[in-house]
Amino acid sequence: MTASTWIEGTLALFFILSGCGFILSATVRDKYSVQVIAYISALCSSLMMFASAATLATGGSFEATLWNLQGLGLLQVRLDMFSAIFLFAAGLVYLPASFFVRNFLRQRFGGRYPARRYGALHFALMASVVLILIANDAALFLISWECMSILCYLLVNYEQNRRTDTRAGFILLAMSEAGFLAVVIAFLIVGKAASDWSFPALAAAAVHLSRPAAWGVFLLGFLGFGVKAGLVPVNFWLPRCYTAAPSIFVPILAGVTLNLGFYGIVRLNVDLASSHGFGTGLFALLTGGVTALVGILYATTDNDMKTMLAHSSIENAGIIVAGVGASLVFRASGYAAPAAIALTAALYHMVNHSVYKTLLFQGVGDIEAVTGTRDMDRLGGLARVFPALSVVFLVGCLSISAVPPFNGFVSEWLTLQSLLRSAVLFSPGVKILFALCGASLALTAALAVTCFVKVYAMSFLGIKRGAWDPNVRRNVGRFQFPAAYLAVACLLLGVLPTFVIPALNRAVEPLVGASAATSLVPQFFTATQSNGQLPAPFLADFHNLGAQVGQHVLPGRGLVVLHRGGPENPVVFAMSPSYSLVALALFLFLTWLIVTRSTRKRSLTRNELWAGGIPRLLPEMTYTATGFSNPVRVVFQAIFRPNIVEDTRDTVAVHFRTAILRRRDETHLVDRLFFHPVGDAVTWIARLLAGMHHGRLNAYIAYTVGFLLIILFLFRLS
Amino acid sequence: MTAPGSPMLSPERVDFDGLTAAVQERFSAVVSISRADKGVALSLLLRDPESLPPLSLFLYWEIGCSFGGLVVEEIAQNWRLSYLFLAPRSGWVSVVLEFPLGNNSVPSITAVVHAADWHEREAEDLFGLKFENHPRLGDFILHDQIWPEGAAPHRKPQRKSVDVHQPHLRRRPNPNWRPLLVVQDPGSFAMPVGPVYEGGIGESLHFILETVGEDVLRAAPRLFYKFRGVEKIAEGVPVSQVLLLSERFAATSSFAHSLAFSSAIEKICGVEVPPRALQLRVVLAELERLRHHAGAITGICESTVLAVAASQAAIIEEELLRASCRLTGHRYLFGLNKPGGICRDFTSDDFRDLLIAVDLAVDQLRILEDRLHFTSSFLDRLEDVGVVDLNKARDLNLLGPVGRASGRCHDLRRECPYGGYEQYQFEIPRENEGDGYARLRVLFAEAAQSAILLRQAIDTLQPGSVSAPCEATHSGAALGWAEAPIGAALHWVRLDASGLVERYRVITPSFNNWLGFHVAVEDFAFQDFPIILATFALSATECDR
Amino acid sequence: MSFWFWHGLWNGIRSTRYPGIVESDPGVTPGRPVATEFASPEQASLAAADCPVNAIVAQGSSAQVDLRTCVHCQRCRFGGAYPLEWKQDYEWTMVAASREKYVPLPAAYRRSLHIMVVDAGDCGACLHEVKHLNNPFYNAHRLGIFFTATPRFADLLLVVGPVSENMRVPLLKTYEAMPTPKRVVAVGACAITGGVFGSGFMSAGGVSSVLPVDLEIPGDPPPPLAILHGLLTVTGRKALAPRQPDFGRTA
Repeated sequence: MTASTWIEGTLALFFILSGCGFILSATVRDKYSVQVIAYISALCSSLMMFASAATLATGGSFEATLWNLQGLGLLQVRLDMFSAIFLFAAGLVYLPASFFVRNFLRQRFGGRYPARRYGALHFALMASVVLILIANDAALFLISWECMSILCYLLVNYEQNRRTDTRAGFILLAMSEAGFLAVVIAFLIVGKAASDWSFPALAAAAVHLSRPAAWGVFLLGFLGFGVKAGLVPVNFWLPRCYTAAPSIFVPILAGVTLNLGFYGIVRLNVDLASSHGFGTGLFALLTGGVTALVGILYATTDNDMKTMLAHSSIENAGIIVAGVGASLVFRASGYAAPAAIALTAALYHMVNHSVYKTLLFQGVGDIEAVTGTRDMDRLGGLARVFPALSVVFLVGCLSISAVPPFNGFVSEWLTLQSLLRSAVLFSPGVKILFALCGASLALTAALAVTCFVKVYAMSFLGIKRGAWDPNVRRNVGRFQFPAAYLAVACLLLGVLPTFVIPALNRAVEPLVGASAATSLVPQFFTATQSNGQLPAPFLADFHNLGAQVGQHVLPGRGLVVLHRGGPENPVVFAMSPSYSLVALALFLFLTWLIVTRSTRKRSLTRNELWAGGIPRLLPEMTYTATGFSNPVRVVFQAIFRPNIVEDTRDTVAVHFRTAILRRRDETHLVDRLFFHPVGDAVTWIARLLAGMHHGRLNAYIAYTVGFLLIILFLFRLS
Repeated sequence: MTAPGSPMLSPERVDFDGLTAAVQERFSAVVSISRADKGVALSLLLRDPESLPPLSLFLYWEIGCSFGGLVVEEIAQNWRLSYLFLAPRSGWVSVVLEFPLGNNSVPSITAVVHAADWHEREAEDLFGLKFENHPRLGDFILHDQIWPEGAAPHRKPQRKSVDVHQPHLRRRPNPNWRPLLVVQDPGSFAMPVGPVYEGGIGESLHFILETVGEDVLRAAPRLFYKFRGVEKIAEGVPVSQVLLLSERFAATSSFAHSLAFSSAIEKICGVEVPPRALQLRVVLAELERLRHHAGAITGICESTVLAVAASQAAIIEEELLRASCRLTGHRYLFGLNKPGGICRDFTSDDFRDLLIAVDLAVDQLRILEDRLHFTSSFLDRLEDVGVVDLNKARDLNLLGPVGRASGRCHDLRRECPYGGYEQYQFEIPRENEGDGYARLRVLFAEAAQSAILLRQAIDTLQPGSVSAPCEATHSGAALGWAEAPIGAALHWVRLDASGLVERYRVITPSFNNWLGFHVAVEDFAFQDFPIILATFALSATECDR
Repeated sequence: MSFWFWHGLWNGIRSTRYPGIVESDPGVTPGRPVATEFASPEQASLAAADCPVNAIVAQGSSAQVDLRTCVHCQRCRFGGAYPLEWKQDYEWTMVAASREKYVPLPAAYRRSLHIMVVDAGDCGACLHEVKHLNNPFYNAHRLGIFFTATPRFADLLLVVGPVSENMRVPLLKTYEAMPTPKRVVAVGACAITGGVFGSGFMSAGGVSSVLPVDLEIPGDPPPPLAILHGLLTVTGRKALAPRQPDFGRTA
């Protein structure tokens, strides 16, 4: 049996299983429905991972034709390597999410909302996600995209009795539809000259697009898919939605559906309708930079953990899109190797983000289940309630802050390094833009560290500040499998980049035309003498860096380098999280050894916290999350434009203050600049149109007659 | 009742007779005038407690008096409350309220005279008096976290070495004590500073800084960690022992306080102090003021961490301490004052050495001031920091150099001359900005003026004895005062028939200024807190007694 | 701005060379009364009666001085009919009366002593003198003596004041927050015996009723050199003053 057959079989099994899951979970009683969801979903996600791994490993792609729909053409599917990456990432996230769903559904929603409905929607969403990823045909793609949007909306509004949060779902639906409309128009523009709707035909037709049409396709596609991806002008639904969605669904929102936006952007703009000027790439780069900065600013100053993580997702989306944009620019300028590196970095970051964001969202869900609050000002001291989760959450925070040896470090390093490669470009204007974007991403990285130090410290460390009961530990132990799995994935993705990059490379190489792996992880171990790709001076540099360390012992290379791949030049920079991990472990061990040996004779006494001699340090005397992030608020005040209302109450005279009430009202930048104006414009148009609906029958008849006349006239003309 | 805007009678035009006439005209029904207490120019005995607020309003806002303090006494079976006001050009006016011990409720004048706030709170804590309509009583001197309600340790039946195990005075730490927080912002927190001072070496005081992270919205002080009950310890004790207490509860102004106490005893005994003693007292008081201001300047330079300037100022202060020690035998001028004069005399050689040291100190202070004026990084931290405008200073009765820096120029040496100050020529420096730099300039200027006064006193020194015999053998009460380095200090003493001290009330300038401090400095950046504290140069020990 | 650098340099080194020399600059110390022989016991009793805090004990015709109680009021020096002799020295630190023997801190602390100062209600004189240890004259840093802001790094607890009631609990907490080895030094007459405040409803009458005190530095206030001598005895760099005879008083 060839690989292709295996993959076909796996995918078919996947669809059958998800169908079964759909039916079973919809019909079986709630108690068993939960188990059904968990195990069948886990099985499905394993199948997803298997199929994608098989594709990547063997290099074969699987194609098939489904039905022939009248008017839409032949529906085709194809699992190529690019889709395989996304499929793998989706499977990676769905596996722990399944178990998380099981635990949570039992705990939180038992009795209030039917698990059956959730299960049905869950499997339907899984199937539609996979269909999007394997669609090789615009019609199938668009149909599954629309299904996915609607299913997302239904799942976001799962807790439908919470009136206040259902508005967020409506905004999601509206934006999804708007984005979908833009994408449909983009596909229509491309397909106007195509023979049929399949992706290869569209790719062939896109080559002949005129420049304005190409820009139109790019903008519509970019912003249309950007809705799902969370890019700046169109992402105002994201924070609202992530906050409103139930805790079981948010990890999937952040880990799977966000990636679909990137899939759409790259598929449309890199694969199908790639343009040849670098204006589009610059647009993407700048959008990415701005998105990242805006996202992290609001994340740092937010106190609600879910909203903060939503803004952080926006930030990471910005980084990914910046990488994609850089790749477009490099490719348009003819530098395929840096383009490959940039795109690899973007994909790596996407995979990493799925993993650690899911981890963090699941942690927040656990915290909320036990304490009843997500407000960091009211948390604190959770490390005593959740000792295991505190370790795992720390891993998530370290990963997202790009701290080695975890995975965030690798992808951020690669992204920033690829932006630095702009030195090869000619145009000084472009170089300046790259530099600005790089600076923005660096600032973003610094703010991300601040943000997650705040998150971890204010929630887990310190004294309990809120009114929740610290002795409540409900099923804390059973939450650990998903979290541990994701933490280990974070570590592995961070420590083994030399294996991940070649895997990603298989997807990137056909898109860009150059291999990232030869630039980033050349064959250190096997290159004992120089050849065309690795001349002698390079080998010497590699060996100086320690590239061949562990040659006969380690299973793989430990070093990731940035090698320009040209005849002259050397290695530009190198990093190795695997070596760092070993060094870190060694240092920790040595320190532990020295400390325990030298202090063997000393006794350890535990003492009360020193607080200046006051009788007891009260929770209201410890730093709050607001206080910690206040400097950021003050420095970036021009962006936040808060409206601070202060009201003082005094009694007898001005200085006998009894209360100082402060309230800080802030409108999000994107809301201020985009959402509210657009909303106002739409309302204005609607009001104008409402003028037509005044109830007079005669006028309606006149409208009908007038419309008929116009149509007759148009027919006459054509 | 709130205070009106502008005074109706111009303060400068009201002299003593005018004041008496105005009071008789307005409040004849409830007031009778007497001159019983020595040191007090006018005593107004109030028959109806309810007219206390209107009378205070009249005196404080219309006449333009400043508020001295509140003296609470238990005499026979009555409470005797004396509210001391300083009328410009007239001297001290005391409004006396007497009522039986069983009734312990008095209308509060805090709404009218904001400076009376802490005096009333102290009376409530130590005596159990209830002041109606006072905005906040409790948790003042006797901290709520260890003292039970109703302790009232200054009441007559309690003895000063009271058994701490007596049930009603037993202290129990209260684990549920929480500070009273004013800011209601969900992200605000209250940062505690102290009581064990965490800036290195400093006095024990406790602040609760309510903040949302950058600016401190409110700084609530909890003082009286150093309260030793000096007033209670002095009861039933001979004058010579109380003299020790009076100079040792606040060392940096010890000479001024012992001077105020001695002058009160001299008034009771009717003793006239010889002129040489008065002049020597001026010399020593100004020496103390000069040294105190050098110390305050050192504190300001240290708070801004301008290390070389702080060291220079510390050298000046140490030289003055050594000069004091060479002259009098004690670095802090302890043991010099006694009722009747000074304990010992000095030779002209002593004075020559002293003048050399003082001139050197003044020169170095002038050089330091010039250098600091050109250090912009230093000025940046002082200018526009902790601003107290004239209205607030007036409202809160800020005294001493702090008040003068805000334009409130009150000095007992001018307004109520004592000890021969009327014969000397000196200026009272005054600034209007009310910020940290203005306070620093006032300190430098006052130090220079102290040196001028000192030299004048030495140059015109008359021969003669340095003390007159003063035996406390009969009862009486008097008010003694002095301009301590921080401001006006008042000592009220009442002796009983055998000449022992029956009631000793100490009203210190730091007590007044600490109230002003926490109100005057709101909305400051957290990093400016130690600097504002240093520019106010307040003494917690003087406030706490 | 750079003139501060030159200004400081130009003013030169002002530090005393104590403990290398005996500092004899007049004005560094107020001195202390010493035991004096009088002609008769009556004279000694009259001399003892001068002292308002009963620090002078007449034993036969000699007047002995209980330095721990002396508050430096100087009434026995000027003004009395039978003045005592005064000695201008400053090395007064002695072992606390409640201790048998003083065990110095280990040798590792000789040139690096970190001190936590707690103001337990003092008048300000002792605290000022402690602060003056950092001024250019005494310059405690050259001897390896540092003041910390938190008890966690402190080896020595320096307490001034008679321990006012409100400071009792903070003082205890400070002591407990210090890691071992640690020593406690009571500085000033108030900290040793309560000074002029004694013990009462608001003051504990000395640190020894609250904490275990190791060394006492008498004086009111002890001059900076006396405190410096005391700090040097903590690690054994200097010898302690001999223990006073027991005057029949409790600690």
